[in-house]
Amino acid sequence: MGVTKEQVEASLTSKLNPVHLEVIDTSGGCGASFAVEIVSEEFEGKRLVERHRIVNAALEEEMKEIHALSIKKAQTPQQWNPTPPQDSSATTTTPTTPTTDA
Amino acid sequence: MALRSVKTPTLTPPGVVFISSSIINKPQSLRFVSSSLAVRSNLKLKPSPHAAKFRCSASSSASLTPQLRDTLEKLVKSEKVVLFMKGTRDFPMCGFSNTVVQILKTLNVPFEDVNILENEMVRQGLKEYSSWPTFPQLYIGGEFFGGCDITLEAFQSGELQEAVERAMCS
Repeated sequence: MGVTKEQVEASLTSKLNPVHLEVIDTSGGCGASFAVEIVSEEFEGKRLVERHRIVNAALEEEMKEIHALSIKKAQTPQQWNPTPPQDSSATTTTPTTPTTDA
Repeated sequence: MALRSVKTPTLTPPGVVFISSSIINKPQSLRFVSSSLAVRSNLKLKPSPHAAKFRCSASSSASLTPQLRDTLEKLVKSEKVVLFMKGTRDFPMCGFSNTVVQILKTLNVPFEDVNILENEMVRQGLKEYSSWPTFPQLYIGGEFFGGCDITLEAFQSGELQEAVERAMCS
């Protein structure tokens, strides 16, 4: 019984084609509890509830075995954007990063 | 029922709110479920033998009959804020349910708690009604708002407070 992290990843990958996917088994080994971070184009224009529904639906089979699925993040690639573009004008006008710990 | 939201004092110290709400809310939520289900659809309330053990998801093929849908609709609209959870507001039996209870208590929101462990029919029916496979499930203004993750995120962003205020004022 239980579901593996790999099964969850495989289902999400094949159904939602994520740009970023992180699945963490939070069950302590029994495979009934997972935390998910997912970034996919599929979420574009969708509210958070709908995004979670999409993830739940993609894992419909697995959910029969999973007790708890925590969706930590369900974002579009634009929202996720792990490397924000350098805006030189902004950095020069707003000294938000102090160089010392004064 | 609407009385309670009026009666729940916003300025009372937390301890007092805690005690009074436990006395007022719990029997009422139980009563509501039992009366509406028993009367409306002539269904017997049988606490599931597995109820206290745990947990969600596994078997979910209860068919959502028109009567049950009708009952659930009344239930989700019975208060401005209704939380379907495992356990009660005072004795949550699941960490996720507890999280949502704590958030609602922090916001000092009057809410109805429904213990789905005590009613297998509501538990299975609501999964289908909400198109949501797990509990807790939070309803605001009769609309499904989200589960634990969404509620937490909305609490942190301030959206939850807005949604609650909108519902309270409507």
